[in-house]
Amino acid sequence: MLDQTVSSYRSPTFLRLALGYVYLHFGLLKFFPDLSPAELIATQTVMAFSMNILDATTSQFYLAILECAIGLGLVFNLFPRLVFGMFIFHMFGTFLPMFLLPEFTFKIAPFAPNLEGQYIFKNIVFVAAGWTVLMPEIFSERRKEKAIAKVTLEQAPESQERVEYEKVLA
Amino acid sequence: MKKYLPKAILTLAVIGLLAGITVTYEKYRGTDLSRVPQLAGRRLQAAIVDDTKRESVTLVAVASSDVASDTGKRHGYREVSASPPYVEEGLTLYPTIEKGMRTPFDLWRYYGRGVSSFGSPVLPMRFDQWLDFHRKQKPQLMENVRAYMESRFDFSETPLPNATMSGGKPIMKGPVVRPPKGIESFEELASMSVEEIREQDIFPYKPLAHPLQSTAHMVFPREWVRVHPEHERIDVDMDIPESYLPEFPPPLYLTTHKELGDVTNGREVTLDNFFEIFDGLLTPEQMEGLKELLRPTPTTWFNHTDHRITEKPSRGVACFDCHVNGHTNGAFELGPDSRPNMARLRVDTPTMRGNYNLMQLSSKRSVRSMDHFAEIEEYFDGDPGMQQSIGPRAAKREVTNRMGDFNSIIDYPPAPKLDPLMRLIPKLATEQELHGEKLFHGKAQCAKCHYGPAFVDDYMHDLKLERFFVCRPEGPIKTFPLRGIKDTPPYLHDGRCPTLHDVVEFFNLVLELHLSKEEKEDLVAYMLCL
Ligand code: HEC
Ligand code: HEC
Repeated sequence: MLDQTVSSYRSPTFLRLALGYVYLHFGLLKFFPDLSPAELIATQTVMAFSMNILDATTSQFYLAILECAIGLGLVFNLFPRLVFGMFIFHMFGTFLPMFLLPEFTFKIAPFAPNLEGQYIFKNIVFVAAGWTVLMPEIFSERRKEKAIAKVTLEQAPESQERVEYEKVLA
Repeated sequence: MKKYLPKAILTLAVIGLLAGITVTYEKYRGTDLSRVPQLAGRRLQAAIVDDTKRESVTLVAVASSDVASDTGKRHGYREVSASPPYVEEGLTLYPTIEKGMRTPFDLWRYYGRGVSSFGSPVLPMRFDQWLDFHRKQKPQLMENVRAYMESRFDFSETPLPNATMSGGKPIMKGPVVRPPKGIESFEELASMSVEEIREQDIFPYKPLAHPLQSTAHMVFPREWVRVHPEHERIDVDMDIPESYLPEFPPPLYLTTHKELGDVTNGREVTLDNFFEIFDGLLTPEQMEGLKELLRPTPTTWFNHTDHRITEKPSRGVACFDCHVNGHTNGAFELGPDSRPNMARLRVDTPTMRGNYNLMQLSSKRSVRSMDHFAEIEEYFDGDPGMQQSIGPRAAKREVTNRMGDFNSIIDYPPAPKLDPLMRLIPKLATEQELHGEKLFHGKAQCAKCHYGPAFVDDYMHDLKLERFFVCRPEGPIKTFPLRGIKDTPPYLHDGRCPTLHDVVEFFNLVLELHLSKEEKEDLVAYMLCL
């Protein structure tokens, strides 16, 4: 039980690296004009989202920076709070085409996506993965300790460190 | 030490990934998979490199600055890795888009290859989605178009006193192009050097793009659409205000019946009324030709299939839907001369008046006869990819010849102040007009390209506007005739000059004429007589 609790506060390394790699690879591609397979839908979404203030080239450039930053953050396990913020923002963005460009993402809305739509739907898995990877990292040490203390107290109310644990919980 | 090992490995992996993608990109661009085109010079260099390795290195170094990556290697035709042309000069690759998606208004800044030379009759979505998509996009697009046009032009709708088109529509005063920020007057601008103008990016007469170049196709004036609601587009509307467009319906003059003046009597000639108007005035061939000029045919986007931009299926478009009464209503389209679609120039409909005098038809295609033009008229799509679905145009040569027969009797409007040698008759002209004529033939150099009975030299000229701003060069364009010029605003092939004043400012800059304010007014006054 204690082991379980503690491990749920540890970020799964392999998942973090995999997620980081995908972000980094597809982010880097966006720096090269005409190389990214998601160019059409991604740039059009950013353009629409910015009310056409950004043009396609600029949209793609900013998107590339965002994705590479998230990718590097995940790969090297840096600034988890910041990365989490960017990740949520980006994920929110990836679902936007379903609302902004439904004609390009659905055969028939809302249950029959086309290939682009399918590619977006499956980002639900990404959200889950990102959550799993990043939440433990941004939970403060203190909350981790608290949780451990709580479980330990429940399991062994008479243990010697009791007083200490109670202090933690207070 | 051990602590840093994983980080070091990861860093190496990231660098490897970046290097891998870069190498992939080098291989990719310039291939037929890629929209990044080959640089013509590059192919040449590759060949030279093979033969005379040593000299080529210097040659290459002169030709382009970043060749280090691929000198000294034999390249097949397709494999030459192209450094994108003009990138140094600030051009960017066309954005990836689908039919119907918005395109940049400043398309002159872009370059690239199309996915294919051939069109396809397939929409990127179902038709009802297509309608939804445009219902959402059009209001925002048109709002941005208005704002963009407003930023470039001051459409104050001030008419010139005592100046009307042949049918009586007031002619607008210009210049309406807004002078660049920080520049007080066009005279100040003209006093700057070409290099200064380019450096500060202040050339005011940049091209006009079609507001929706991904579908492009014909855009009719509001005035036309009010009478012909079947040409109302779901995706885009005309961007130039009505007062800066030709009159509607315009008069129609015949070379064979000068005594009748405007034979239409102020009506629009249609399939319903042409027989009544022209029976007994035309030859059988001309009648047949006129009927064909009035008969609609399916086009790329106005047709009976789903591949259309009208709410209901369309019967198509007739020649006279743009060349109304043998003149023009100011509808615009893209010139069919280049691919990809986004590289095609916007062209507004020229008049058919006086086509009998022209040896060069259409701004870039250099078509040499009206018969031929009627035969190949590519708005109805010379693209076999489309013809599969909308039906080939299939006009027989006998028929197109007859269209040419009618076209060849459409005359210019009267110009009572001109003598047979196309000089002003001094008794009838004002001081100002006569001075304008003198300038036209002298200081302003207009007559170097605009001479003869139609004021045209029938050559194509490259005005080399790329000297003035960063752009994909437009290349040679035919000289347009100036006879009857007051009736055909907006001016230049894409209508970037809404008034004659703007044209004079344009040439004043392009030919570096340094005309004074009065001289420019005089030139305009003269052109109103032609
Ligand atoms: C969009 C409406 C449109 C329709 C419909 C149309 N044209 Fe045109 N026409 C144009 C435009 C735009 C040009 C200029 C093309 C260019 O500059 O490349 C043109 C040019 C021409 C010219 C050359 C005129 C010149 O001064 O260079 C001829 C001749 C002509 N059209 C005949 C026809 C005939 C015949 C038909 C019917 C088969 C037709 N047009 C239908 C728009 C139209
Ligand atoms: C080098 C040859 C050349 C000279 C000199 C020249 N033009 Fe032109 N003119 C052209 C060409 C080429 C075009 C068509 C350009 C385009 O459509 O982009 C044109 C177009 C025009 C048009 C627009 C016609 C239309 O139907 O849209 C007007 C008006 C005009 N010229 C007036 C003048 C005047 C006034 C001068 C003298 C100040 C002048 N031109 C000098 C070549 C010349």
